[in-house]
Amino acid sequence: MPAPDDLATRLAAMEHRVPAGLAPTRIRPRWRGWAASIATAPIAVLLAAATVTAGGIAVAGLVTAAPGVENPGQPLAGAALECTTPPEAAAYLAAHGYTRVTWQVETGDASGKGGVTRIVTTAPAHGYVVPGSIVDGTLLMIVDQRAGATGVGACAGEPMP
Amino acid sequence: MTGEEAGLAPAALRADSHRAFDAAVGRWYAPLVRRLVLVLGSEGDAEDVAQEACLRAYRAWGRFDGADERAWLYTIALRLAFDHLRSRRRWLGRVAHPTADGAYRDQVDPDLWAALARLEPRVRAALLASVLDGYTQREIGQMLDVPEGTVASWLSRAKASLREELQGPR
Repeated sequence: MPAPDDLATRLAAMEHRVPAGLAPTRIRPRWRGWAASIATAPIAVLLAAATVTAGGIAVAGLVTAAPGVENPGQPLAGAALECTTPPEAAAYLAAHGYTRVTWQVETGDASGKGGVTRIVTTAPAHGYVVPGSIVDGTLLMIVDQRAGATGVGACAGEPMP
Repeated sequence: MTGEEAGLAPAALRADSHRAFDAAVGRWYAPLVRRLVLVLGSEGDAEDVAQEACLRAYRAWGRFDGADERAWLYTIALRLAFDHLRSRRRWLGRVAHPTADGAYRDQVDPDLWAALARLEPRVRAALLASVLDGYTQREIGQMLDVPEGTVASWLSRAKASLREELQGPR
């Protein structure tokens, strides 16, 4: 058997080569309920959602998903922005030519109560970053400012900066 | 400040919820499909289960504790996947072995693919969650709804099986 690190590398390489169905070409029956529920939102909101959502649902007959910008093969793969603060991430992004960045700021508490989502174009001063996606040429980064929330991924369990 | 205090209309609150869901869960959709292909062995089944999982996750979004979106989505999806396999066995009367449809199986590490395919789906899922995602045995047990000791046994068995199948580093 390969060494543990080698096994992880080989498994990761194998998994990354699997097609991920990023953009279904047709709506399967199981999508319809979801798509229909989304279609009840106002058109303007739908357009905004189609523009800025990280993971992706587009409506009006199309259901697409945007891959995470740090996923293997994506523009920021390996950038390790997860767990950085917004100013740190903004500095990195600016240095790498990302001039169109939208910040989705999540507030409320860790249980999800009182949650509010704000979309801003300037990096917030605090919180921690969850890398989002590039949608229609605009990079969406998520900022978690929820009270009591802890990090996930590389900073799992750590308090927010 | 709540959305209502901010003067947001209910529709906008719903839209906020959509965006929050998209942002938190959507980025895991593609990795989830890939994982399900490895677990289920079929691209079509993987996409079906992933989409059903996203639908269920969306409906349950208000009850999500906000801790780990990936674990939460994977838990929903893997349990659906195993239900799917049970159903398939019931109707087909046989144990389905992974037979992913794409040529990529033969392009990347076919030996490892074949060795992995011979593991039971839940054992395979546990191994991937441990080796690739770094989840602990306890976390995997919660994800797959089995005791921690069972996960330990599965991981031990899986590694022994791979050791036998692969017979040394390549």
